[in-house]
Amino acid sequence: MTRTRIPEIGVIVAAFAIVASLPWLAGSYMVSFAFSLMMWLALTQSWVLFSGLTGYISLGHAVFFGAGAYVMVLCWGTISFWLAIPLAGIIAGGLALLLGYPCLRVRGPYFVILTFGLAELIKFVVVNIESELGQFSRVVFGGPGVDQLFHVMVGLAAIATLMTYVVRRSRAGVGLRAIRENEEAAETIGVSVARYKAFAFAASAIIPGMVGAVMVLRTTYFEPLQAFSPITSFTIVSIAIIGGGDDAPGPVYGALFLVVLQELLWANWPQLYMIILGLLLVFFVLWSPDGVHGWVRKWQLGGRK
Amino acid sequence: MDALLSGQLLLAALVTGFVYALVALGLNLIYGTMRLLNIAHGELVMLGAYVTFWLFTLTGVSPLIAFVVAMVLGAAMGWAAYRGIFRSAILSTSVVERLEANSLLLFFGISIILQNVISLIFKADLRGYQYLDNVVEFGGIAITGNRLLVFGISCVVCVGIILFLRYSIFGLAIRALIQNRDATAIVGIDVDRVQAISFGLGFGLAALAGALISTMQPISPFMGFPFTIAAFVVIILGGLGNMTGSLVGGLILGFLETYGVALTAPTYQSILIYGVFIGVLLWRPQGILGGKRVAR
Repeated sequence: MTRTRIPEIGVIVAAFAIVASLPWLAGSYMVSFAFSLMMWLALTQSWVLFSGLTGYISLGHAVFFGAGAYVMVLCWGTISFWLAIPLAGIIAGGLALLLGYPCLRVRGPYFVILTFGLAELIKFVVVNIESELGQFSRVVFGGPGVDQLFHVMVGLAAIATLMTYVVRRSRAGVGLRAIRENEEAAETIGVSVARYKAFAFAASAIIPGMVGAVMVLRTTYFEPLQAFSPITSFTIVSIAIIGGGDDAPGPVYGALFLVVLQELLWANWPQLYMIILGLLLVFFVLWSPDGVHGWVRKWQLGGRK
Repeated sequence: MDALLSGQLLLAALVTGFVYALVALGLNLIYGTMRLLNIAHGELVMLGAYVTFWLFTLTGVSPLIAFVVAMVLGAAMGWAAYRGIFRSAILSTSVVERLEANSLLLFFGISIILQNVISLIFKADLRGYQYLDNVVEFGGIAITGNRLLVFGISCVVCVGIILFLRYSIFGLAIRALIQNRDATAIVGIDVDRVQAISFGLGFGLAALAGALISTMQPISPFMGFPFTIAAFVVIILGGLGNMTGSLVGGLILGFLETYGVALTAPTYQSILIYGVFIGVLLWRPQGILGGKRVAR
């Protein structure tokens, strides 16, 4: 069993500390690039914490992102946003517990489409609530500056990465992976399957909720179709598959790769970007299931021989 | 209240129901024979709609011919997808559950690719054309010619496919595959070929449904997903792998949707469909008509 090593945690923290110092070192373009890198990293690490370890593939993580964003706009003007961000995380986690109770009994492909369907349902419910309220898009002005938000985002990405790193190496992580390999066997040897799954699902929703809240402050507006967009879920899954594996390094490779691709293509050729993403997903699932992380590992092992 | 009891609404529900049944039959065929849930199914509906739209508006080909062209193209795509992607996925994945999850990701990738290729070529806005939009009246019920045509074709094709699967030797092979995969191979049925044909037939039916739909409503590159979800609802209602169940499920959903929207408001349509979808999935994943045969 791979163990948690204090020096490795030190390296992770130091790396994020360097990223966090970017506003003093580099220009605003670099900061906005790193901003989106940190956002996708935080989202994907959280996804891997649940889906990577348990094998229950969630295509609905956009719902937690959207819920967090919605909490932020609803709290706007009543409580401080420094309180609203953790509140968004708590509510997203609570939502996951609530949804997880019935959903996690459903397995395999049913779970996958169920998460997607639920995310869409909640999206349309919010769209209808907003139009009943006469709100079509809400604007949030006067939030904290970009640099401050950037530091929050780096913090979230660091916490998400450490969570995946530590949980994967913990007793709970072994239990979760046992569920992935054989749920009945895991239950037989005493893994409390239902509780493990529910907690992992909730834990993987908290950070996306907070990321959603931060992104509302960053973009300064909220529009439900966009906040709950299934493209978010799709991108998270693609990053995780491209990065590969069920451990912390995978999402780092995946997110780096994706954000570079996004910078190159999204502004001018959004469709082409989505097409390439789709092709990459098919390629990695079929021919390289261990992802970029797998390539790196193979290369490292080859070097040691 | 009068409006709810009118023949008008009844006929509208039947049209929607048969179209849903047609879409669902194709999805169910692929699920039944290979246990692969095709979430790109709605994108085939969308492609069929675009083929018909394109042939009719650009070259003036009658939609009646375009229906056939769309179906053949869809079938060819299904066959190619099976040969090019899914056969190797099946051969290379050892664990059945991982194959199911992986194939879902593959279909997801394909659906994203198709949506964006079409929106790259045709732009993302709604498009439509007029065909047979004269109003026909009989027995006090008014209906446009195109809806009547869609009703007729989808009804005939649905019943035809069900009878074909029930009585032809090929249908027997497909049903054998649905029931027991290993035994099918042992009695000498060419499983690979049957799977390729079910893929072709499944994709073809979806494309045909899309071609029919394009005569009634405006089309867009992102129109497919609601049909995928509707088809899921239908096959979960009717039982996975159960073809007659798909027809019944399609009609149930058609009625639920038409009357549900008539009672509330059109904005609730998506909530209604997704709500039924989630309710059924959580309540009875083996289907209302599913009986003993459990989903996996």
